[in-house]
Amino acid sequence: MITRRAAARLAAGSAFTATLGLGSRASLAADKVIKVGVNLSLTGADAEDAKRILNGVIMALDGANQGNAVPGYQFQLMTLDDGTATAGQYDPAQAATNARKMVSDHAVMAAIGPQMSGAGKAMAPILSEGDLATITPSSTNPDITNPKFAAQFDPSGKPIYFRTVTTDAFQGPNMANYMAEKLGIKNVYVLDDSGAYGVGLADAYQAQVDKKGVKVLGRDRLDPKAADYTAILTKIKALNPAAIYYGGVGQAGIKLAKQAYDSMPKVIKAGGDGVYGASFLTGAGFPAANGWYATIASPHLVGGDEKAAEFVKTYTARFGVAPEDYSITAYDGTLVIVDAVKRVAASGKPVTRAAVRDAIQTAKVPTIQGIVSFDKYGDLADRTVSVFQIEENKAGKPDDVSAQYKYIGVAPQS
Amino acid sequence: MTLTDLIVQQTINGLSLGAMYALLALGFTLVYGILELINFSHFNVFMVGSFIAFWVLQMFGLTGQDVILTGLPLAMVLLVAFAVTMVGSGAIGVLIERLCLRPLRDVKGPAAMITTIGVSYILFNVILLSMGAEALNYPNPLPPKRFHIGDAILDVRVILIWAVALVLMVALWLFVQKSRIGKAMRATAQDPEAARMMGVDVDKVVMMAFFLGSALAGAGGLIFGLYYNFTSFLIGFTAGLRAFTAAVLGGIGNVPGAMLGGVIIGLIEALGGQIAGAWTDVIIFSILVLVLVFKPSGLLGRMAPTKS
Repeated sequence: MITRRAAARLAAGSAFTATLGLGSRASLAADKVIKVGVNLSLTGADAEDAKRILNGVIMALDGANQGNAVPGYQFQLMTLDDGTATAGQYDPAQAATNARKMVSDHAVMAAIGPQMSGAGKAMAPILSEGDLATITPSSTNPDITNPKFAAQFDPSGKPIYFRTVTTDAFQGPNMANYMAEKLGIKNVYVLDDSGAYGVGLADAYQAQVDKKGVKVLGRDRLDPKAADYTAILTKIKALNPAAIYYGGVGQAGIKLAKQAYDSMPKVIKAGGDGVYGASFLTGAGFPAANGWYATIASPHLVGGDEKAAEFVKTYTARFGVAPEDYSITAYDGTLVIVDAVKRVAASGKPVTRAAVRDAIQTAKVPTIQGIVSFDKYGDLADRTVSVFQIEENKAGKPDDVSAQYKYIGVAPQS
Repeated sequence: MTLTDLIVQQTINGLSLGAMYALLALGFTLVYGILELINFSHFNVFMVGSFIAFWVLQMFGLTGQDVILTGLPLAMVLLVAFAVTMVGSGAIGVLIERLCLRPLRDVKGPAAMITTIGVSYILFNVILLSMGAEALNYPNPLPPKRFHIGDAILDVRVILIWAVALVLMVALWLFVQKSRIGKAMRATAQDPEAARMMGVDVDKVVMMAFFLGSALAGAGGLIFGLYYNFTSFLIGFTAGLRAFTAAVLGGIGNVPGAMLGGVIIGLIEALGGQIAGAWTDVIIFSILVLVLVFKPSGLLGRMAPTKS
């Protein structure tokens, strides 16, 4: 017999999941709700990529609910936006507020995100104190999982910041290796966008490229809010660089691409995963985006094997846009959470945040990017960095990442 | 790039920035001269103007920088874009004045200024909610032709900016100096009570000031879009602060002062970017503070009563 309370919960549960776009099978009366907090930069310059990442999470949770992956439990999304209008991109203060929201909601057992490392630095201490594990599909700043900074980012002492991508400790230097060895550049000018991710990436790149014997002509900071970079670009042009490297995300990157195209069309331009994605393509547009090198902190997934092809087909059919590699890392990260909850539930122990966190730490989950496992600091065991170059493909849609970014290969490991 | 080429290029950059700041500063200064009101909504009218022009250009079937026009079609498209944008922004300015500021005309204190801050945020959020938070690729029909002065590059767009800015500024100055309404504006700026007693319709004068200032801001918005190939709901704040500084530097209430201030701030920004990129803001505002400490009315301004 279905009690009134259970029926009410049933109705609320299905209404909720329906409005969130998650499919749900006819749930049994006693189903417990596990909320997965998702914090992404859905407002601002990186919104296009955020949407594509969110879609990956939705697909995974959907699949888990419909396939009854964890009997007796239903997964629910709690989507939060750390982008604000005034910032025009992610806002660390908003990210901190979102972290507190997730921690204070006791149904939230794990989280996906954040997208940006600047948000990650703000969220990590709060999540650590709430013992809430998060798996980020794209945040690459190494400080957050670095034991040297544990007091700042992980006061509770147990890792809670997991990644399905590697870090800038590899993304920056590996690209430096690629540019020095494969492109043979003799000098480079380095720029960052003053954000946590951008500065960290540019620093890591600069240190390695210097070690490889490439002359660093200078280092400058771009203000993401400013519209005009012509003065700085003119200064850089006068130094006659072979290449410029940009550590940072879309807000400054888009303007940099447009203005660098005007002043230095022949110079090699490269960036990290901040210039990889639909946001950069639509913001910078062609011809400005053409020729830019980008990296991602994971193996190239979309366009990979059969599993990936299947994912791409289902994703595109359902959401109407093509996925990016970080859609897959988000999907994989969500699979890890589902697997963790499953193992905790199967062991008979109560499903708590601490138990889920421990289960994530020991995860060995087969996913599209291979078997995902984490080292003792929460970093992904796989350290692959992939290199792409934008080559305008008029046959494909202008915001389709697979069509416009040509995969070049794996960057030489540091 | 030789040193002279570098200086030439940075000067070109600076003058282009300066032209945009000057156009924006003129709007501030016109309104301040007559009403002694700092109109904080002005730079978001500039931002809205940029979007009005965006929609107009899109209506011509332009998207991004792919479609290029030359000669007569180009002139016609630009003319229509400028006309519609300026009239549209001017109308918004008049609407703001009529609905929000006229009822507060005789109220002492900061009520009117705070109202303009509120209007500013309303415009900002309306655009954010309707157009989204991303930087939009601007429809730009200008041919990517460039001239070389040594190693320095002078783009066709830059010439357009200077030409349009100069034409508008000269037109405004002539209007203010030579026409009847211009004389009425100067009279009202000098002494509103006396002007009213001499039969000047102060309401009409204020409306005209808002219309002209906002129309210029709208033109500035279109120029911004054509120059940077992007627009977004954020462009008002960054440009507005510098333009406001330019207006104050030149002497707030003073029309040639706004133009001079704009050019100076533009040049400082370009040279500052060359010498010490991250410190540009510090340099600009330090110069502002120094000028005001030693000449509080700005470079060309005089202490009351004569203003424009």
